[in-house]
Amino acid sequence: MSTVLVLTPVIISSWPAITAAVAAAAASLGIMVKESVQESVQNAQVNQNVENSVEVELSQSEVLAQTMVTNQEIVLTKGTIELRVKRDERGRCLVCAKGVGHSKAELKMAADEFSQKLTQCFVYDKIMHELKTKEFQVVNEEVMKDDSIRIHVRRWMD
Amino acid sequence: MAQHEVEIEITKKGEVKVHIKGVKGKACLTYAKWLTELIGKVKDQQLTSEYYEPEIKARIDLEQNLKCED
Repeated sequence: MSTVLVLTPVIISSWPAITAAVAAAAASLGIMVKESVQESVQNAQVNQNVENSVEVELSQSEVLAQTMVTNQEIVLTKGTIELRVKRDERGRCLVCAKGVGHSKAELKMAADEFSQKLTQCFVYDKIMHELKTKEFQVVNEEVMKDDSIRIHVRRWMD
Repeated sequence: MAQHEVEIEITKKGEVKVHIKGVKGKACLTYAKWLTELIGKVKDQQLTSEYYEPEIKARIDLEQNLKCED
């Protein structure tokens, strides 16, 4: 054994890469993408006055602004909860959850669950791409019962 | 030829645990640096017994290898 590292991910990426991770996270959680990319939010919700909403920020994230149109966001639905992934004014990635008849705690749980899955999918895509670039062979890959992903890779050095 | 192995666990919250195996001496730090730059910030790091074994010329070769592929 040589080294054991624990790393906290920092998500600095372009909007297309975030979009890909959002799609992967939505697919793995069985969430529907309502509108793939919404550039202008004009459709007001009918029942906004009885809706609760919660925002969860991905703490270590930065979406590169030059690849993104203002107000661009991805809208997803999970049952009667609507999730919106967007970039805030500071350039951070934000997951907003809202829905009629749901408590703030329920909405926060939904937003937290999705933001965690989004982070996991983003990190997975980035690692796998880099490992292939460096010619690592994937020996084993599995999703564990606790939803963690284990990847075992190998390379031969002269 | 030396076999370098990396075991990566991406937790449910997105935290990444990396176990670098088969890399002797400071050469393993080259892998650690590469993965840190790729993923984010170091929360914790432990050097294991293999780190203290003689490394021969593995680190120089590995650094060249990782740089060439960038």
